[in-house]
Amino acid sequence: MSKRPARPKGPSLFERFAERPETSEPASERGLRRQSRRDFLLFGLGAAVAAAGAWWLLPDKTKARVLPWAHDRLDTLAARVGLSGANRERLLDGALTFDDDVAEALYSKDRKVRTYARSEVTPLKPNYHGQAPLPESLTNWSLELSGLASGRTERLTLASLAELGIMRREQVTRLVCVEGWSAVAQWGGYAFADLLKVFPPAEGARWAELRSEISRDAQGRPEPYFVSLDLATARHPQTLLATHLGGAPLPLAHGAPLRLVAPVKLGLKNIKAVTRIVFQAEEPRDYWNLRGYSKYDGL
Amino acid sequence: MTAAKPRPQTPDRTIPIVRKHHALVRLTHWANVPLLFGLIATGLAIYWAAPVFKHAPDPVTGSRDYVADLGIAITRLTHDDGGDPAKWVYDRFSLGTGQLAGALRLHWLLAYFFMVNGVLYVVGLVAGGGWRALLPRPSDLPDALAMIRYYLGVIPHAITRKPWPHPPVRSKYNALQRGAYFTMPLIGALVVLSGWAMHKPVQFGWLERLFVSYDGARIVHFGCMLVLGSFVVPHVVLVIADGFDTFRSMITGWSLRVRGAGHE
Repeated sequence: MSKRPARPKGPSLFERFAERPETSEPASERGLRRQSRRDFLLFGLGAAVAAAGAWWLLPDKTKARVLPWAHDRLDTLAARVGLSGANRERLLDGALTFDDDVAEALYSKDRKVRTYARSEVTPLKPNYHGQAPLPESLTNWSLELSGLASGRTERLTLASLAELGIMRREQVTRLVCVEGWSAVAQWGGYAFADLLKVFPPAEGARWAELRSEISRDAQGRPEPYFVSLDLATARHPQTLLATHLGGAPLPLAHGAPLRLVAPVKLGLKNIKAVTRIVFQAEEPRDYWNLRGYSKYDGL
Repeated sequence: MTAAKPRPQTPDRTIPIVRKHHALVRLTHWANVPLLFGLIATGLAIYWAAPVFKHAPDPVTGSRDYVADLGIAITRLTHDDGGDPAKWVYDRFSLGTGQLAGALRLHWLLAYFFMVNGVLYVVGLVAGGGWRALLPRPSDLPDALAMIRYYLGVIPHAITRKPWPHPPVRSKYNALQRGAYFTMPLIGALVVLSGWAMHKPVQFGWLERLFVSYDGARIVHFGCMLVLGSFVVPHVVLVIADGFDTFRSMITGWSLRVRGAGHE
């Protein structure tokens, strides 16, 4: 039996990660004082910049509440050095656009939303921004499609939609609201992608504007709701034009007679009671984007 | 004209110092102050829109939100008659109520800076070798208990004027500090991960599942906020107790406390 030669022992894992003993070094006292002065001045400058920046970025409502007696004067001072409200909005909109670009870069058209079993359905809050449309507004309801390759404007009713020969689909997916809550619901309807096969959009169209002309505000006055939707999302296999919720026709509060269900987007893109879809090359306006929210809203 | 008389200058001396913190570590440490402040203020304003900790509506106050309940309880205790009690916490610790859009935009802006800041902090830890001092080690548990015992005894012994020696520390940080400074970056990573899990639950579905559910990620995110926020109080108290040298070392990077030269 030959003895195995002892392996040269390297440092153990503990030794390799061990803290090194502190070593002192000589330094000129005057040099240290000079460096210390410089660093404390930089620190003070940084603190002042942070304070000014924080004041600048605070929403006006918050400023008025925090310093009711001085916020106007401080804002005037801040605006003199370029920290104006308009510049603030530009910066924050820039942050929002950057975040949207990140979201779009993350997006994969093949990535499916998780689907659930019917037993996993949870209560779904209607969360209409204003009041739900009046029942009367549904009697003459039709879905108008324009910006099509055919150059025509199509007007569809639930009956004519059913006659197009598009396969009906059922899916149990989750709706995520920008407010932070989420709910699982069972949807039935047509894949948006299938409708686009029957009515292809005009060449060069990258966007769809979906509108609800029968939407109402909190006081019950007519207030159109509109969202922008990129056609990549419209063609996502789980993007539906839904007519049913929980196996029954959509109630008024949930967007009767037809709504968008785009589970890859936040709830606010999932427009209810759609009356018009316009396909176009330029990005359309979006109701909540005009009110300071993202216009991409990808999940 | 006579030449200006040169100011009498103290002769320069050479003194020993210890290099403590890499410049990037110092910079990112301080950047965390306004960033976390803003992230908490905007985060709580976002939380207001749909609280994750909620209950059936209270028959008296109509509140469904435990954070609102806390405000109601505080105003009742302090007999505060100004403003809506349900908004008490949100008005003091957040941008305020009804500002979801503004809070979201600001939260994204600060969150991206927070992530960049976190990466730079780690770069600074590696470049300066500071990471070694943060790693937990087997002796940490008894040493941490000894530190807690020491802190609990400081005030009683000061009152009775009895000596109360500091436990010996042979590393850059004592075990309690090390535990805290090791945990905070992990909580920072967790708050970022749970944030992405909520922000992109479809593209990062795997991340959401890591937190069990969407609300799971929200609860973790909220919990991280509480930990980060409550870390600040003992951190500041202990730095003040430890003395000016500790504070200065986080600004200048060096310390006059050379081990074996008086300080344990």
